[in-house]
Amino acid sequence: MSDATGTADAVMTSETSLRVERSFDASPEEVFDAWTNPEVLRRWWAVHPDGTTPVAEVDLRVGGRYRLTMENPDGERHTVGGEYREVQRPSRLVYSWQWELDSGEPGDISTVTVEFVGHKDHTDVVLEHTGLPDSDSRDRHAQGWAACMDIFRARGFSAAA
Amino acid sequence: MERLAGGEMTVGEATGDFGVSKPAISKHLKLLEEAGAITRVIDGRTHRLRLREQPLDEAYAWMSAQHELWERKFDAVKEYLREQRENQQLHQAQEQPRRPPKESK
Repeated sequence: MSDATGTADAVMTSETSLRVERSFDASPEEVFDAWTNPEVLRRWWAVHPDGTTPVAEVDLRVGGRYRLTMENPDGERHTVGGEYREVQRPSRLVYSWQWELDSGEPGDISTVTVEFVGHKDHTDVVLEHTGLPDSDSRDRHAQGWAACMDIFRARGFSAAA
Repeated sequence: MERLAGGEMTVGEATGDFGVSKPAISKHLKLLEEAGAITRVIDGRTHRLRLREQPLDEAYAWMSAQHELWERKFDAVKEYLREQRENQQLHQAQEQPRRPPKESK
């Protein structure tokens, strides 16, 4: 995180959407491939320092699904999954995002749109996560998120970051 | 919202002297209610407003958690790309005399 290309910016664009941008010192093809690479997903998804990612499945085509399960050292598991809706390598990727709740029932479905904009010597990536649950459905579907937030706290992430 | 931080108020007390039209105030209050930021208690003809701190904090914590996840993802992608680059450079240095037939990009 120390080199110069790590410019990041995040904006909470409304109560139910989020926008995150970053610039990468690589071509759009390289960034796109890394974004959807199961190995990258596995590393990313093991949020707990001693956690693992026993499931990292990617079927990268329109209508194909992905599924990621993180497992903490105490055996607690959290799974997210969804469907690829647009796969336009190397410029655009749209997929749904859905937590699996402890009860086994599926959580709310939100949408992630990632744009990869190539420049001469870098690629700008703009991620928009829209349709996140509003207050009402958060109350109903809070558990997956609550558990996830516990992990962040355990890692020392601050809610005010 | 700031005014309500001091405690429960009637709609009139909370919104008086804002210099904004009544419909505009009603609309704004409705939005705040929908967002779970305030609650309205109807007592006869008086509407009392109360600030609900919990949902806003919760919403914020929620979005922060999701935001952290994406930051982590960007970090993971960046680290992977750096490793790829380093491996590539290492390969090129090792195989300097004979050009590799196909360079996987």
